[in-house]
Amino acid sequence: MIQLKDLRKEFGRRTAVENLNLSVPAGEIYGLLGHNGAGKSTAIGMMLGQVWPTRGEVRVCGHDVTAHRRRALEKVGAIFESPAFYDYLSGRRNLEILSSYTAPTPRKRIQEVIQWVGLTGREDSKVRTYSHGMRARLALAQALLPQPELLILDEPSDGLDPEGIHEMRHTILRLHRELGLTILLSSHFLNEVEQLCSRIAVLNQGRMVFEGTLADTKQREKWVRLKVGDFTSAVRELREAKLITGERDGQFVALEPNAGTDQVVRLLVGKGMPVYEIALAEETLERFYLTLMNEQKEGK
Amino acid sequence: MFYHHLRNELWKLFGKKRTYIGFGAFLLAQNAMLLTFRFTHWQRDMERMLAGNGYMAQEFVSALTVALVMLIPQVLLLMPLYAALVGGDLVAKEAEDGTLRMILSRPISRFRLLAVKWLAGLIFSAVLVSVLGATALGFARIWFPWRGMFVFAPGMVFNVLPATEGLKLYLCSHLFMTLNASVILSLGFMFSCFNMKPAAATILALSFLFLNLVMEGIPFFERYQEYLLPYHFRIWLYIYSHPTPWERLTQSLCVLLAFNLTTFLVGMAAFQARDIKS
Repeated sequence: MIQLKDLRKEFGRRTAVENLNLSVPAGEIYGLLGHNGAGKSTAIGMMLGQVWPTRGEVRVCGHDVTAHRRRALEKVGAIFESPAFYDYLSGRRNLEILSSYTAPTPRKRIQEVIQWVGLTGREDSKVRTYSHGMRARLALAQALLPQPELLILDEPSDGLDPEGIHEMRHTILRLHRELGLTILLSSHFLNEVEQLCSRIAVLNQGRMVFEGTLADTKQREKWVRLKVGDFTSAVRELREAKLITGERDGQFVALEPNAGTDQVVRLLVGKGMPVYEIALAEETLERFYLTLMNEQKEGK
Repeated sequence: MFYHHLRNELWKLFGKKRTYIGFGAFLLAQNAMLLTFRFTHWQRDMERMLAGNGYMAQEFVSALTVALVMLIPQVLLLMPLYAALVGGDLVAKEAEDGTLRMILSRPISRFRLLAVKWLAGLIFSAVLVSVLGATALGFARIWFPWRGMFVFAPGMVFNVLPATEGLKLYLCSHLFMTLNASVILSLGFMFSCFNMKPAAATILALSFLFLNLVMEGIPFFERYQEYLLPYHFRIWLYIYSHPTPWERLTQSLCVLLAFNLTTFLVGMAAFQARDIKS
């Protein structure tokens, strides 16, 4: 659905995106992660033909965005953080205006989408009277009007209250399930990405530092919770035996890829160290992300 | 499709309260001018001038004459300000508000988007000038009779006309005024296509006009007057001259149309090249 090939974008001397290669298959909910300024919005801008790439190729729905923007975006809907509307016009008028840039949309279709996003009854009020949550729903409505096959969501939950975030998350899942849309989601909320996405890419300073499934993030390092009498000594012994690669929080150790918990227990008990508890720890996306970023900082 | 897009732009333009506040300011200024003319020595001075040139003052101090008197300062001061303001807003305000990014996530070409915006701006110029002309004439008619027209602009025009002919020329001068307004609007529009705030685009457009005006006043630039905009803006007054200076009118018409097109193309090139980011 989306293919980025050797994509690079420079703003003056600053490189915002560097050699980005990405492929979003149809039917996926794909997460784009990274801190502020990592290049996520620039990458999305290039996918939508708003930002011109310095080098490389962007293909959306099979068409080159730079050369055939119109064809590439025909079946694409997009939502940005803090969606902007013509506040002095009604919600319905905003939808009419925005959808007409794709194709004139029948009134019936607009009403259907208004109903789908739950704005019925408020569609003729001026947008300036809308709450943040209602604006988010209106943003979703405008993205759905062209009957898209691909939705690009750039920080869609930004600025929403917890209830709004929850609602947005459910809506995204509903869109994926009921309409079968491919979704590219850029977000700061790691738990949101964890709950929604099947595949992620992590950007750091314009470069992609990880790409894979959520399962990959969990298997990248095998963390084990270890309860022993003297954690420091146990770690020293395990390091010497080359069974672990790291430790954290005074209770977790990262196993070497070929090491097992049985070997750990055997070694520690053999050294006369009682093991009270040992269990594989569930790796969270947050932990994975922070580890990855620390590795980048340390230049690993 | 083009019609739909143009209709959208007009909705956006005429849906703003600010649009009507501007029109309101014009109405207030017109009434202030009218009252000043009616209740100060201005009217007596005009009557004296007419009498001094052998005309019956009562025949020519009319609704048409006063409407034109009301229009001159507005065309010089308020109209450029307002047209530059609207022109400067056309693209830059949308970029600032973030709605431009929403639009450009749709499969519309930048060229088409700008073309409809510019066209909407031209329609706005025509509406602005038409409303100005109609209200000036309407207000003047309340206080003054429908008689012949006297046109006086120092160094340019001195003419008296029967009412029917005066009305025809009054309407015709509005076509030229529309062109003037569209040039100013296009100038603001051109700057607003660059990556800048709407206020900056308006200020740049007004500064450009002001610079032209200042240069025109400097004796050194007298021989280069034809290269300056105010020289060509005056065609709306020259239309009242007798005989009509067709050559001058045609020349200015071509220059203003070409200027309009140039500003659009420069703006287009800048807009096409720039990145739209939040």
